[in-house]
Amino acid sequence: MSQIRTFNDFLKRIAIVVGALVVILAVIFGILVFTVPQVKAFNNLLLASFSNPRLMLDFLDRHGVGFNSLLFRVVVFPGFTWAALIAAEVIWFERKFLAKMQVRVGPLYAGKIAGLLQPIADVIKLLFKEMISPARSDKLIYYSVPVLLMAIGSALLAIIPVSEAWLIMRSDVSVLAIFAVAGFGPLVVLLAGWASNSKYPFIGGLRGLHQLVAFEIPMLVSVLGIVLAAGTLDMVNVVQAQSSVWFVVLMPLGAIAFFCCMLAELERLPFDMPEAESEIVVGYMTEYSSMAFGNLQGLAAYIRFYAMAGIFTTLFLGGWHGPQILPAGFEIAQQVEWFTIKTLAVMVLVIILRGVAPRYRMDLLLRMGWARLLVLAFVNLFLVLLIIQMGWFPIKVGV
Amino acid sequence: MTETPKVEPKLPERGKKIAEDITAKFGGDLVSIDVKLRRIKMKVKANRIMDAASYLNDNFGYDHVISVSGVDYLKDNEMEVVYHAATYGNAELSDLVIALAARLPRDNPKTPSLIAVWPSAEYAERETFEMVGIVFEGHPKMERLILPEDWHEIPPLRKDYRNPGR
Amino acid sequence: MSTLTISVGPQHPGSGHFRLIVTLDGDRIVDAIPDPGYVHRGEEKLAEYRNYIQNIPHFERMGLHDANNMMFAYVNAVEHLMDLKVPERADYIRVIMAELNRLIAHLYYTAITGIFVGHSTMFMWPVGDRELFIDLAQMIAGQRVSYAFILPGGVRNDMPEEVKKKAEKACDYFEKRLVEYDKLLMNNPLFERRAKGVGILTKQDAIRLGVVGPALRASGVKFDVRRNDPYSVYDRLDFDIPVSNDGDTWARVWVHMEEMKQSMRIIRQALKQIPTGPVKVNLRGQVRVPPGESFGRAEASRGEISYYLVSDGGRFPYRLRVITPSFRNMIAMPYVLKGMVLADMPPSYWSLDYWPVEADR
Repeated sequence: MSQIRTFNDFLKRIAIVVGALVVILAVIFGILVFTVPQVKAFNNLLLASFSNPRLMLDFLDRHGVGFNSLLFRVVVFPGFTWAALIAAEVIWFERKFLAKMQVRVGPLYAGKIAGLLQPIADVIKLLFKEMISPARSDKLIYYSVPVLLMAIGSALLAIIPVSEAWLIMRSDVSVLAIFAVAGFGPLVVLLAGWASNSKYPFIGGLRGLHQLVAFEIPMLVSVLGIVLAAGTLDMVNVVQAQSSVWFVVLMPLGAIAFFCCMLAELERLPFDMPEAESEIVVGYMTEYSSMAFGNLQGLAAYIRFYAMAGIFTTLFLGGWHGPQILPAGFEIAQQVEWFTIKTLAVMVLVIILRGVAPRYRMDLLLRMGWARLLVLAFVNLFLVLLIIQMGWFPIKVGV
Repeated sequence: MTETPKVEPKLPERGKKIAEDITAKFGGDLVSIDVKLRRIKMKVKANRIMDAASYLNDNFGYDHVISVSGVDYLKDNEMEVVYHAATYGNAELSDLVIALAARLPRDNPKTPSLIAVWPSAEYAERETFEMVGIVFEGHPKMERLILPEDWHEIPPLRKDYRNPGR
Repeated sequence: MSTLTISVGPQHPGSGHFRLIVTLDGDRIVDAIPDPGYVHRGEEKLAEYRNYIQNIPHFERMGLHDANNMMFAYVNAVEHLMDLKVPERADYIRVIMAELNRLIAHLYYTAITGIFVGHSTMFMWPVGDRELFIDLAQMIAGQRVSYAFILPGGVRNDMPEEVKKKAEKACDYFEKRLVEYDKLLMNNPLFERRAKGVGILTKQDAIRLGVVGPALRASGVKFDVRRNDPYSVYDRLDFDIPVSNDGDTWARVWVHMEEMKQSMRIIRQALKQIPTGPVKVNLRGQVRVPPGESFGRAEASRGEISYYLVSDGGRFPYRLRVITPSFRNMIAMPYVLKGMVLADMPPSYWSLDYWPVEADR
């Protein structure tokens, strides 16, 4: 074969390899169809199902990969693929939107239409870069950090009810699960800083640890009000409790506290001290390269972003509830649509903040976390308690 | 708070008066003094440079140094160290730059550091040290500042340094 | 006490081509030692091998977005020694170009301040608005960045008349933009929290260390070469010198913002007052400077720049000593940075008007 000189040659090579594989597999399958009876039966069923969608669904269900299977939920919707698609879309949107705010054009070329495929082009670029690890770094921890951060983000996806029917895992204590999962964040960040065996990542890791720990507690306290009001720790029940009025109306203080904590947990501007590029390069990610960096800075970060925005929507913005706009019979689709719209709105709000706010400072941030937000969250909690005690609460407590 | 631009009469008399004061103070130790419109250059003997600096600082309020330069006079086998001093505190003299110069022997150019009088000379003296090779005695950190750490030739701004490729 | 020493630079997004050796105790800076020299070109030695005109393009390289002000002090020194009077129109064009350059450099300063506090919008806006003045400078000088425009004996070419209208329009537009900058950066509560009371340079220190330019004026010393040692036609123009007594990072940025307004004021006045006539003295052949010494200074955008010229009457300068504002402000860095937290280091050191290329020469 000819040598690869340009990107086109590279694509050609991939096409040739994939085409050859398809032909070889088809030949093997054809031979097996005529020799092994089980394969022949399977083949007949497959052929029949192509002509009939219902048969196809049955076929998939029977083999454990249908729409109702756990695997589908975890891998496709509302799990990983869905989140990754939203993440990619939000990355593109953020760049384009920030560019408009800053009188630039933003991504323009990749993907013909407004640079729509720029995130994918970036991923391809990063995939082909060399992965370098610093000398005398702790290789095991160093390489597991991108995976762990991705795992934390993805694990949060499991408890977000996109609609009544679409939920990966229903648990009685899923509100607690948020903190159980998110609690790993500081540890991973610290490990990233430590394993890199370098000074800037170390400072970044320490900053991350301080920041995430400082904001975990106000976050927890701000959610307590909701737990009291809804009388449950189940996210689905929390959403159901908001059918008449959203919790953001009942407890705006808690929503503000949670939103600020969310910004800090996500390390988004104005609270992106752990990756403040003007003083500590990119913090704990400094020594990462290639797709590990792309994962930390891009995919994992934005999946976490989506997950936290989804949690905010679920807890405060009434989850899947919304006025009916689709005709009857499409309730599930409407629920998914309202949830997505609200989540994206929260994400846009966070992106706007990035356009108008400078970075805060570590000591001021910690003071804010421990002294302001915690107080705010407790005030919110006491107000909720007062309202419940006086019986002014507009919704039935304890669904 | 609009200021009207006022054209002060920049009298050479003012410079002359200062020159007279300096001449009266240093007498024989003053090698030469040259008065222009807003510039004065005074050259003193090398051992009086510290006194001259303190005198300028105390009597006319010359509180900072603009530059410290070393000039290599290869023909005379001498080096000249020039301090350009100016003042922020004394608004009347803020346009008058006094150059305080002293000639040093080229073989062993040593002069007291004027950091004690003018702390602003610190980096400029260090630069003069590495570029021209004048040693400032009493400077707390007489080290390389700008030149590369592996510089192994004579100070590059001396006249007998040949640029490679020239 | 256990401390951590980090090298900020020369490869670091928060430094230019220079190194700051920062010692940290926790998050506090115990010591910060500047280590320049990574972009040293040897301008002073180069000048000894080039004639007076050839020296112009390479001196501009010291502060590219401040090229005209770099040259202003040089031609002041050369013309003083030659006893040369330039035509009045040339003087006005020089002032206009110098003030355009001040605007361009101050906008760059604002932009980097923005990115150093993590404000990317505040980086993009000034960089975009710089185009206005770069275009104007291009109309006058024919170049966008490195003009080689101010020469001994005048300026290289006359300016077209439509500059007046365009400059008026650009200034009108930019005045509106400055209001938005105030909203976005100067009055932004987050920026105020981070910049006010941080990196204080006291008046005594500023005078003692010979700090120059906006950093000096932000510390309460009213000194501007344009006013205190007027050159060219600055003594005929009406402008204020913004002075603040706070001496902190915020005050230094504020002084830059105010100076941009004053620069536009100067440009407007100069365009009104500018007479007609020739723009250069015909110097016939090579520029020869009589033997002697002269000291030329000018107020560049970062502060006072000075050239000490020693001529022996030859084709080349015998010795040309350049002291740039960045070099003089570098000395204040340890005083300003000591005691602050690491996060405030980039905006504070940048607010001192330090530009490595200019400092290394």
